[in-house]
Amino acid sequence: MPSENAIETINLTKRFTSKNANEGAFFRRKTVTVNAIDSIDLTIKKGELFGLLGPNGAGKTTLVKVLCTLLPPDSGTALINGYDIVKQQMQVKSSLGTLFSVGERGFFWRLNGYRNLEFYASTYNVPRRKRQERIMEVLKLVGLENSAFELFQKYSGGMKRKLALARTLLPDPPVILLDEPTTGLDVISARNVRDFVKRTVSETGKTVLYTTHYIEEAAQICTRIGILKQGKIIALGTADALKEKIKNEELIHLTVEQMTQAQIDEMRALEGVIELSEVTDPTLMPEEHALGIKLKSVDMLPQVFDYIFERRIKLVNFKRDEPTLEDAFIELTKRA
Amino acid sequence: MGAVDELEKIWYFMKRDMISFSTYKTNIAILVFSAVFGALSYAYLGQSSVNQLVIEKFHTNFTTYLIIGLAFNTYLGQALTLVQKTINPWALEEVLVSPTSLTTFIIGSSIWGFVWSTAVVAVYLLIGVYVFGITLAVNVLGTLIVLVLGIGTFIGFSMIGSGVLILTKQGDPVAALIPLATSLFGNVLFPPQVLPSFLQLVAYVTPPYYFFTSIKLILTGATLASIMPDVEILAVMCAIIVPLGYAAYAWCLKTSRKNGTLSWF
Repeated sequence: MPSENAIETINLTKRFTSKNANEGAFFRRKTVTVNAIDSIDLTIKKGELFGLLGPNGAGKTTLVKVLCTLLPPDSGTALINGYDIVKQQMQVKSSLGTLFSVGERGFFWRLNGYRNLEFYASTYNVPRRKRQERIMEVLKLVGLENSAFELFQKYSGGMKRKLALARTLLPDPPVILLDEPTTGLDVISARNVRDFVKRTVSETGKTVLYTTHYIEEAAQICTRIGILKQGKIIALGTADALKEKIKNEELIHLTVEQMTQAQIDEMRALEGVIELSEVTDPTLMPEEHALGIKLKSVDMLPQVFDYIFERRIKLVNFKRDEPTLEDAFIELTKRA
Repeated sequence: MGAVDELEKIWYFMKRDMISFSTYKTNIAILVFSAVFGALSYAYLGQSSVNQLVIEKFHTNFTTYLIIGLAFNTYLGQALTLVQKTINPWALEEVLVSPTSLTTFIIGSSIWGFVWSTAVVAVYLLIGVYVFGITLAVNVLGTLIVLVLGIGTFIGFSMIGSGVLILTKQGDPVAALIPLATSLFGNVLFPPQVLPSFLQLVAYVTPPYYFFTSIKLILTGATLASIMPDVEILAVMCAIIVPLGYAAYAWCLKTSRKNGTLSWF
């Protein structure tokens, strides 16, 4: 059933029940139930590169495993490419490519890269006549075409992850779930993976759900980001929108020339200025002043500039103190 | 650091292993059973009445009886661990998220084991014929019927054991206990008629007894009609155990998926 949305979750919930191991008498161990994902309503449009950020144990991997039908939900459901993950599992599986955070462990170490992909191509119903061509195509896409016939056990960590990415792309799925694809990779390999994912989305229009706990990674490549905490989506939006959410006050830094102490005091008294402090900076010229100004909001900025320009004060430097996505992530997870 | 400190360290090493070991309860039970069954099997194998019983029941010598038993015991061993071998938790997850059915997964994962076992059985029989001079009178149709029923039954057991393994994560009780029970009751090393009568009763309710009795008879000149009573019992057992095994495996897999413990090995 065609749908506008690639992924849609409806009140999706997954609970885990476990007993405290090793502690206490066998029959008196306490049972603990945790909502690993808790009533999640999330819509991801076709062609989106959606980032799911969350601290360890937030429920990112559980969500991926529920979406790819590996874990059955306890309540609610989700649609992948219009197919229900509970009632239409085979269609869901045919629409998805999933890369688990330890995806390379599913390979067979005594087979070469090509033979590993050949096996998985059969499980994903890649047509027999196109199989060889498709395998070489995805190997080339991830840059492993020259190592196709090397034993998997001889691959480096980065190569193994690339092969796992190749397997994910093998059936040419419209929707891709990538669970922490860069975890454990060196800086260059991680960047290659990010570039590859970004390029794949822009060139093929595929939809990607990308989970990570690397904040800047999500900020770099994702069109929209959801922040997951204790199984709940606590914030959703573009990286800028998320940063905006924590911006109650505006902090600016000015370097000015020929400003008197009286003018500095006047500016301090302007409406909307919460705090104005003079910053000591040994690199400044004698006639220069560095000011740190905290404003109630960004709307107060014009009146600060009006004050400066009306008095013909020379503005040498201006800098807005922008919150990073990391600031937003920490603040939003703290608030939730 | 004094000797007391070093002794304390050794104590904590042992305590660590003891706590880990005690969590594998199925494994502990299997180890105890292995010791008991192993001791009994070899004790009965040494009894002088075994040879006489073989000649009476199978109209062949003990070497032929033993080689056929050992050869086809390979099939049993393979069949019992076939499904278990598929449980590489990571590969299992990867296959389960692909559009591949559980039936295809089990059959596909098992097939090579059978090809290899067949080669091993052939080697056993060839050595028996050309080195030890045993005589086989093969009834092809009868042999195939007995093999299909026997292998089917053992795969059923394998699915039950693998299901338990998926849930308990350590120790496949079926793959461990059935070979032990087979060595004692299965007519592999000696006819169970040498056992005390109450133990013989156990033999008569276990599928391996009917499989090994039938295969030994059919390969040493018996007709299909003459072994039909044993084959019929084996067929009934197969008809019960295969669907039961499939249901058990599917249920355990489903439960493990529901609990999110599939990759907890």
